[in-house]
Amino acid sequence: MLGPTLQTERLLLRPPCEADYAPFAEMMGDVELTRFIGGAKPPALAWRGLATMVGCWAMRGYGMFALIEKETGAWVGQLGPWKPAEWPGNEIGWTLARRGIGKGYAVEGATAAMDWAFDHLGWTEVIHCIDPNNEPSIRVAERLGSRRLGPIQCPPPYDQVESIAWGQSAEDWRARRA
Amino acid sequence: MIAPGPTLETERLILRPTSGEDLDGFAALMGDEEASRFIGGVQARAAAWRSMCTMAGSWVTRGHAMFSVIEKSSGRWVGRLGPWTPEGWPGTEVGWGLLRETWGKGYATEGAAAAIDWAFDNLGWTEVIHCIDPGNVPSQKVAERLGARNLGPGKLPAPFESAPIEIWGQSREAWRARVRSRA
Repeated sequence: MLGPTLQTERLLLRPPCEADYAPFAEMMGDVELTRFIGGAKPPALAWRGLATMVGCWAMRGYGMFALIEKETGAWVGQLGPWKPAEWPGNEIGWTLARRGIGKGYAVEGATAAMDWAFDHLGWTEVIHCIDPNNEPSIRVAERLGSRRLGPIQCPPPYDQVESIAWGQSAEDWRARRA
Repeated sequence: MIAPGPTLETERLILRPTSGEDLDGFAALMGDEEASRFIGGVQARAAAWRSMCTMAGSWVTRGHAMFSVIEKSSGRWVGRLGPWTPEGWPGTEVGWGLLRETWGKGYATEGAAAAIDWAFDNLGWTEVIHCIDPGNVPSQKVAERLGARNLGPGKLPAPFESAPIEIWGQSREAWRARVRSRA
């Protein structure tokens, strides 16, 4: 196994695998869902995107988790720690499939992922890189207790995407969770 | 950490799965206009990191991917080559891409031969292909040395569909007959 499986009230967070390809490709091909993360991708690029995430787990021991809805067993998105080369910080990111949105899953899953990242990766702070027009994700960041830190430059291939960093320290997170 | 998979050895090369320590090599390969010209074009280091992760991920999800190639005499990473079957690909490919300063030594042919042996013995493949740009003469020569024939124009999946490629290849039987005749 590439990494741990975490559990919340309604969700399982486990490392991604090949079986996630169909729902992953559907999400990455959805113009609306990908609007703030570089736009819709054809299946060949979605496959590479999933392999990239799996490969990050294999080489670094972490990456975004696949988000599984306990009640149905359905794949409903990906979420968690993500720090590509030259990334401007330790990100906790999220992207949800259509069947996963509007249920509070991003906040519920990101909470578990942040607990894990602070406890197991030695991270002392996290950021979320969010398009300034991405209202739903801004609300998730606010619910997580993150503050707006200001504009941030992401490296290629996201160097043309406008991003605002949100974030908080491990201390603030733990104080809020206590 | 290193992706799961076998390590192969040839006279001058070690072929092993992708490792996190290969980033400088991937960045050098993909940052070189000439070396990256026929394998997707120049990538910044951050994008090369993603390409490296994709390779490592394919080792996990597919059980195969291009090996990282280590030059035995120096211990350095000199490129990546081997089986590669991403989504929508026109066949079971063994591909190669090497740092420019290691061209001209026969490494691509030496490494690809080991990778083809491994793919036929372990992946159940019945043929191997190489997708080669009609202008990529050095790779055409490698394919010829491997015994592949030009099977005609092919097409890669979107967003790579405008890349002009010809598919070179051969059957498992033809490959094995040639290996036997050399033995």
